[in-house]
Amino acid sequence: MGVANFLRTAAFLTSLSISGLLLLSCSGMKTYPNSPEKNVTITTNTDSGSLFSSVNTRLDIYQVTPDCKLDYKGTVQLDTASVSIGIPSEKMSYLVFGFASSSFLASTSGSTSYETLFKPRKGYHYTINASYIDNIYDVTIRESHPGKNLSRNIETVGLSNC
Amino acid sequence: MKTCMIPIVAVFLLVTGCATHHPQTAEEFRQAAPGAFLGKKETFEVNRSFKDVARTFQKKAPQCLNVRVKTVSQTTTSYQVIVTRYKPTVLVSNQRAELHIQQHHESGVLNVTKEPEGGYFLVVTDAYPVSKNKTKIVMYRPSMGFDVMIKAIKGWASGTKTGCPDMTKI
Repeated sequence: MGVANFLRTAAFLTSLSISGLLLLSCSGMKTYPNSPEKNVTITTNTDSGSLFSSVNTRLDIYQVTPDCKLDYKGTVQLDTASVSIGIPSEKMSYLVFGFASSSFLASTSGSTSYETLFKPRKGYHYTINASYIDNIYDVTIRESHPGKNLSRNIETVGLSNC
Repeated sequence: MKTCMIPIVAVFLLVTGCATHHPQTAEEFRQAAPGAFLGKKETFEVNRSFKDVARTFQKKAPQCLNVRVKTVSQTTTSYQVIVTRYKPTVLVSNQRAELHIQQHHESGVLNVTKEPEGGYFLVVTDAYPVSKNKTKIVMYRPSMGFDVMIKAIKGWASGTKTGCPDMTKI
């Protein structure tokens, strides 16, 4: 009996994993490859303002080619309070923070995004705060150098400025 | 499940009630909004310099309000998709900073009156210098709905908020 339950559970979990993989592959979304050098820390703070709605936050990362085309590198699900990732230094990237909200009762959904060009400097660390509180979203990027006591905010730069 | 598209007739009672003419300019909107059904004029002061308020409008409006929004609503009997394009315009002179927001429905809504170029005027916000660190804000806006957008604009004016409104929630 115990073995049968175990097998049923294992089969269920396996089917769930396969479904998840199929969904990911069908949506074209892929996990952003983790690099050992983590120069960006992202903190996320979300509050949909209602028990009957939720907000899903994610970051799509693109590399920008010399002719300003976007090459999708992967997605980081921002479902934990803090996550550290590596984004190539001295190369132009394009960050798209997506905030997807849905309401269970009204069966409504919507999504909005914050997008910016981003070129990390070698040796610097970046702290990104992404928030979605009471239907107002904000993303701030702060640059600091571990060896220097200086930091500054990085302004949003649209793709049209590439 | 039976689903159907419900074309929504744009009943913009905001400014003109059941009239068939909508304001075609920001100035016409200023004249019409205070006396209109579901229209409102709101005046307040913020403890910021006029220059800072104007700069914030110039920075945040194109960043946050120049968006196309797709909303999907589904019930057991209906399925509704609306695509709306918002257009912010910021005009700054020594005497006044203006933030206009227009909306144009690209699909899902049937317009029944003449639409100005760029879309129907939704909100017009004017900032006037009062003193070195005080600015008067006059908002011509809907009296109901659009709370998130209004909250964000007030936050930009007062300097208490830097975020963008989720335009799918207005």
